[in-house]
Amino acid sequence: MLTQATEPLSTFFEYITYEHMIDNVVLIVTGTLHERDVQELLEKCHPLGMFDSIASLAVAQNMRELYRLVLVDTPLAPYFSECITTEAYLEDVYRFCQKLGGATSEIMSDILVFEADRRAANITINSIGTELTRDDRKKLYSNFGLLYLPYGHEELAVCEDIDQVRGAMEKYPAYQSIFSWLSYGETQLLDKAFYEEEVKRLCLAFEQQFHYGVFFAYMRLREQEIRNLMWISECVAQNQKSRVQDSVVFIF
Amino acid sequence: MGVSDSGVESADENVLDFLDSMDRYLVLVDSLSSILRQGWFDLASARHSMGSSRVSSALFDLKIHNASTTLQVQQADPGKVSPRFELCKWVSSENLHKSSEGKKFKKNELLQQEDSLQSDHKEPKDNISEDDGSVINDNNQAQKERLKSLSMFGALVAPKLRSSQLSFEKALETLVEIANTRASLLQAYDQVQENMKKTG
Repeated sequence: MLTQATEPLSTFFEYITYEHMIDNVVLIVTGTLHERDVQELLEKCHPLGMFDSIASLAVAQNMRELYRLVLVDTPLAPYFSECITTEAYLEDVYRFCQKLGGATSEIMSDILVFEADRRAANITINSIGTELTRDDRKKLYSNFGLLYLPYGHEELAVCEDIDQVRGAMEKYPAYQSIFSWLSYGETQLLDKAFYEEEVKRLCLAFEQQFHYGVFFAYMRLREQEIRNLMWISECVAQNQKSRVQDSVVFIF
Repeated sequence: MGVSDSGVESADENVLDFLDSMDRYLVLVDSLSSILRQGWFDLASARHSMGSSRVSSALFDLKIHNASTTLQVQQADPGKVSPRFELCKWVSSENLHKSSEGKKFKKNELLQQEDSLQSDHKEPKDNISEDDGSVINDNNQAQKERLKSLSMFGALVAPKLRSSQLSFEKALETLVEIANTRASLLQAYDQVQENMKKTG
């Protein structure tokens, strides 16, 4: 599809692959630091995120070399400061979609805003109990989203437990429904709630016509299907079939 | 003719010891099974949450490094005390030379702690120490080592991955407890056999 597309759709498709490229770069670099075989790591990479010089990542000895030898010639260069940040990528996609305007901008903004807010919540929850300071935590949040202004990120940055995260997010009507059926202190079903909300927004992309958001929604919904299948397989393999409903998200 | 009352009492005591050990052993084996089950499920949940590229065997660190947890075996005295297994948990490689014995894991009430595994955020009591201040330091040290070992999956990991780690840590403790209980069980069994031979 990418080779058949013209601008700006081709750029839109490329943006979809950048996220997987970032994941692949992180996988290769982390695996190399742990003295894993490069071929083994390349086999684990996502096919959408492959690029020509990806194998050269294993040669770099530090981040500066990583940028100079490999990343500078890839589309990921703008997202590289002290490290590769997915937040920089999300902001770039957001700006690009805003420029496209029309239904694409409307649909994609809704999806990307939720993605940014979800990432902020997950960063907060995952950093609870670690040595990450409040300032460092705030730096990891994207510079857009419902929580960005005025005080959402400020409140999230100081959260010490899941209930405080809940309190910070419930103030926004869009996220009240996510937490309404979760009990206090519950983390297990929060992921499922986020995925369900994401699927709801992705499915809405198919309600409108003549916009690029359907391509993005299609890819993301396929990924959700794969996640569902993997979860069901794990439950079957572990003889925990009763727990399948814990994380399966129904689509459409 | 006949066995003296004290002999009978001693024999009964040995049988009771044997049955107690057997009961403890069976409870521990069952406990181990449920702990491991929970651990594997939490690991699957973490992989579902973080993505299969972030929780993968491809990220295991193959560099040579000191074991963070070691097992010490105290050999049995001939015909007397059964061998004793002790777990030294989360001995930092930095502190390896400072405390050669590391932190001792003593027999704890696993049945009571089983309930604590149901909660995501509770942690097991790591050490029993005479000094309360050192208990807090030991817990902080153990927590740091836990985070360090999880760092191979990234700087920020899902809570499910941490509870999975705790489950497997508890499983390791249970295994050591099973080994100690089995040693006691076998010793008690030998005692019972010996009594049976004496009484004919």
